Amino acid sequence: MLLQMHDIHKSFGPVEVLHGVSLELYAGETLVLAGENGAGKSTLMKILAGVHFPDSGNIKIDGKNVALRRPQDAEGFGVATIHQELSCIGAMSVTDNLFLGREVSSVGFLNRRQQRKEAEAMLRPFGLDIDVNKPVEAFPIAVRQLIEIAKATSRDARVIVMDEPTSALADPDVDKLMGIIGDMKSRGAGIIFISHKMSEIYRVADRIMVMRDGAHVATATAADMPAGLLIRNLVGRELTGQIPAPPPLEPDAPLTISAQQLSVRSATRAESWLVKDVSFDAKRGEILGFAGLQGSGCSQVFLALYGVLGRLASATITFGDLKHLPRSPEHAIASGMAYLPSDRKEEGLILGMPISSNVTLASMPRYSPGGWMRNGSERQAARRHIEALRIRATGPDQPVGSLSGGNQQKVLLARCLETAPKLLLLDEPTRGVDVGAKHEIYELIGRIRQQGTTILLITTEMPEMLGLADRICVMHRGEITAAISRESATQENILAAAMGKGTDH
Amino acid sequence: MKKLLAHPGFRAVIALLLVWVLGSIFNADGTFFKWGTHRDTLRQMSTYGILACGMTVVIITAGIDLAVGSILALSSIIFTKLAIHLGLPAPVAVAAALGGGSACGFLSGYFISRYGMQPFIATLAMMVFARGVAKYVSQGQKVSTYVQQKDGSYAYVDPPAVMNFLNEGVFNNNLAVVTILFAVSALLTWILLSRLRWGRYLYAIGGNEEAARLSGVPVNAMKLLAYGFSGLLAGLAGLCQAAQEMQGDPEAGVGYELTAIAMVVIGGTSLMGGRGGVGLTIIGALTISYLEKVLSINAVGEANRLMLTGAIIVGAVLFQRSRRTA
Amino acid sequence: MRKHFMGLGVIAAGLMLGGCAEDKGSGPGAADSKAGGEAAGDKKEFVIGMSQCNLGEPWRVQMNADIKKAAEAHPELTVEYKDAQNDTLKQRAHVEEFARQGVDLLIISPKEAAPLTQPVAAVYDQGIPVIVLDRAVTGDKYTMFIGADNKQIGKAAGEYIKETLGGQGKVVELKGLMTSTPAQDRHAGFREGIAGSNIEVIFEADMHWLEPDARKEMESALARFPEIDLVYAHNDPGAHGAYMAAKAAGREADMKFVGIDGLPQEGQAYVQQGILTATFEYPTGGKEAIDHALQILQGKEVPKTLTLKSRVYTKDNISSGGEVLK
Repeated sequence: MLLQMHDIHKSFGPVEVLHGVSLELYAGETLVLAGENGAGKSTLMKILAGVHFPDSGNIKIDGKNVALRRPQDAEGFGVATIHQELSCIGAMSVTDNLFLGREVSSVGFLNRRQQRKEAEAMLRPFGLDIDVNKPVEAFPIAVRQLIEIAKATSRDARVIVMDEPTSALADPDVDKLMGIIGDMKSRGAGIIFISHKMSEIYRVADRIMVMRDGAHVATATAADMPAGLLIRNLVGRELTGQIPAPPPLEPDAPLTISAQQLSVRSATRAESWLVKDVSFDAKRGEILGFAGLQGSGCSQVFLALYGVLGRLASATITFGDLKHLPRSPEHAIASGMAYLPSDRKEEGLILGMPISSNVTLASMPRYSPGGWMRNGSERQAARRHIEALRIRATGPDQPVGSLSGGNQQKVLLARCLETAPKLLLLDEPTRGVDVGAKHEIYELIGRIRQQGTTILLITTEMPEMLGLADRICVMHRGEITAAISRESATQENILAAAMGKGTDH
Repeated sequence: MKKLLAHPGFRAVIALLLVWVLGSIFNADGTFFKWGTHRDTLRQMSTYGILACGMTVVIITAGIDLAVGSILALSSIIFTKLAIHLGLPAPVAVAAALGGGSACGFLSGYFISRYGMQPFIATLAMMVFARGVAKYVSQGQKVSTYVQQKDGSYAYVDPPAVMNFLNEGVFNNNLAVVTILFAVSALLTWILLSRLRWGRYLYAIGGNEEAARLSGVPVNAMKLLAYGFSGLLAGLAGLCQAAQEMQGDPEAGVGYELTAIAMVVIGGTSLMGGRGGVGLTIIGALTISYLEKVLSINAVGEANRLMLTGAIIVGAVLFQRSRRTA
Repeated sequence: MRKHFMGLGVIAAGLMLGGCAEDKGSGPGAADSKAGGEAAGDKKEFVIGMSQCNLGEPWRVQMNADIKKAAEAHPELTVEYKDAQNDTLKQRAHVEEFARQGVDLLIISPKEAAPLTQPVAAVYDQGIPVIVLDRAVTGDKYTMFIGADNKQIGKAAGEYIKETLGGQGKVVELKGLMTSTPAQDRHAGFREGIAGSNIEVIFEADMHWLEPDARKEMESALARFPEIDLVYAHNDPGAHGAYMAAKAAGREADMKFVGIDGLPQEGQAYVQQGILTATFEYPTGGKEAIDHALQILQGKEVPKTLTLKSRVYTKDNISSGGEVLK
């Protein structure tokens, strides 16, 4: 046995968050650690990484008791962690990040050429052929995530913890990651893998361990714990189906939005197009999906529609009274749009502010007639959303930063709904959200749709796209390569179009 | 009780109480217990306090305004030049000084919002520039009631009534007019930050600028507002400074921006933006001013004063941090 | 989302950026204005370089003004001015620039002795006469030093105060920056002057040569001591600040105020208005510098050192231009 954590207890202040959890990991296996947000997975993994020290219980690596008091201790015993939040230093070069803390030096001077060569070698298994002298922030999130994984796995790690490593990755990159996990297993390493994506769990897992409310619920081989049982274990109740089937569209519903020749220029390279002459339209109450791999331009379409890109974007649109793209997010909101950004911590929420302020931020004019704040009605609105969206919080004054990921996402959705939009742009509405909350968000999207709001949706989770969207525009390198209806959409034909093989259905 | 302990205002008050205790122990033969001492402290803190109010607004947007000391000098020069040398009516001189201050602030804000300049750099440039304008207009000399005539001789003129008024006290001279102006500035700042939509926007920008922009917050206009407001209050502080000196001094206000920033930070408003408020700033201003006063009435030597002040500032901030993480 | 934290120390670095404007003297270098009837004998025109260490203080602005005024009487002289903005290295560069430019004579009012001694010596060795004003350089590689003696002035003030108070009384001393030589000399001279009397210095504080600080310290003294007979400040703005504090407390009639510097628009004006009982001139030497520059350029012998005579201005003699001290 590679790793044994036995009867781990941990309290923060008066609250015990781990009630005697045990975990076993064998060499050459992948253990999927599953649980809703707040189940205690992260705390357990932080104890393993030496970030927290347990109140009681013991940890054995290779059968020997170890005390992991600092992250360096854990590293010393061969424990590597890939965090959910990116921990690269953006302004530093890829090489410097990869070698941070273990620089290759001779007589105190950095051996840059050596480092560069090794860095390129480390990234090669991931198919990353990038300029390692560039700062990390110059690359998209997916590449950064791969750099992070490369960094963690390259050290002679025997226990590798991956906390939602694929949340920012497109499918081909996920494939590469799976290959690397296989290599590591064959080298005798053990992997603890945290994920909320059902398909991924069964792809990677040898065994599955489920936690709920700080306690161990069940551990079994993947074969002995099929999806239905897993979900039951996770939420402690039966969930009916993954995504509720939507009622059919009204056949003669009017068009909410029509966009012609939407183009987005690159801000850095002249005469280079991120999106080129894209046209689409969507009816009242329709969910139009946008699918594509990294760099396909889906997100750029949303940003253009929402008025974020300014002069870089151009299009002729018909949306209410609008004939052109809105000038600014302010203008877009006033015209009846709402946008849910994919990165809720960086672009969505103001974490230090209470729920109420976050909910009303995009509809301030209504809560401050003549410029004067009406704090009472604002909190009332927040209470209404807390109830309607089943946000688990102590009240409207609780800071958003202290909520779990799923509840944070609901607050963000509440902000969108508060503006009573005619068009809702959802970019990854369930990223980093646990299974139970995901289900609630699906239900909510269904309700919004039924009220007649048109939704444009981007998601990298294929089942989500197939389950929610009425139609799917698949994009490849800034152009729409296919528009597929709900009935004829399959994972295969979407992926084919996303990789540039145009098909129309 | 625990909630009370965690409140940043409470922690700030404790630091102030400590300074008061210090004053009661080292009371300089009872001087600390005389109302005059407190009236003077409240008057002395007023110019700094007015600057700190504007600084609070800017810091809440995660910015910084280094230009306030120079704008104060420029405003005092504009005011005295118009009111004393040109003999213009008081409302004109006051409006010009406040207008000049706001214009400088708006200009900083324009470069920050329109061209995405770092607030540190833009206001540093404004700090140097406004000082230059002040020296140019005054030709490097103090603008006093002793006015050079056309033939080169000097003649004494009466100070305008508005300067006398600003320098006086009310309630039987138990409170200075400038202290009331400080209170009014604090009230205006509180209304802006806590009662107006703009205030919510300012906090949102400081908390997460990108999220605020995507939520339809007019980020550029709000930054313009923040720096313009800071400039306006710096202009008001310039009026107070000029009235208390009975002259305009192009060298006035050097280093005042640091005192204003210190008042904001010691109160507990975060330099990272998005958190804090003007109430905390008032407590911070009182803490620093009373500390200075206690050292002054005891005639503590210069070297010791500097060392003590530095140590106490670090202590106060550490104290707040320790409670925050606990 | 960009967030920044800034070290306050960086601001100090920013302060040093200063403005970059240089005062170009517009001396009336009219070539053909007058026939050779002047004492100079030959019609040669002369360029004098004037390196001023800092124009931030009114006293130094006055020095430049005195030089300008004296030079205007001699059309054959052109004076070029440079302001080093209190930066030793900048002043060194200015000296070197003047030498390279080939001025006929250099007047320098150095910021400090040690770092400027060598550059001044280099100019002198090059054959350019050098007049050092106010503050000395070390060694003897210069043509002439013109300056006043702070210690003597302080002593004169002390003796005057002793006489005015009839040998006894309670005095507040508001000191300049006690790390600067002028403040040390004005302090030591004063103590020497009052030695042997019953005068008691009940409160002393550093006011950094600044009026607002002087006012603050004076307020502390007023709060603490019900009886103060006289305030001795190391400069006139300090004395004026003390007066403003006493006036605010309604006690300005109970005490006398004595300052130093005696600039026309500051100290002399205050005496005329009855604010100060006396001010002791600290002469700039601007006029003397030009007078001796002419002599040097005409090949005449000049003394190596000229100690300027100070004047005392009181209510009685202010209209007749003060009284030269013995």
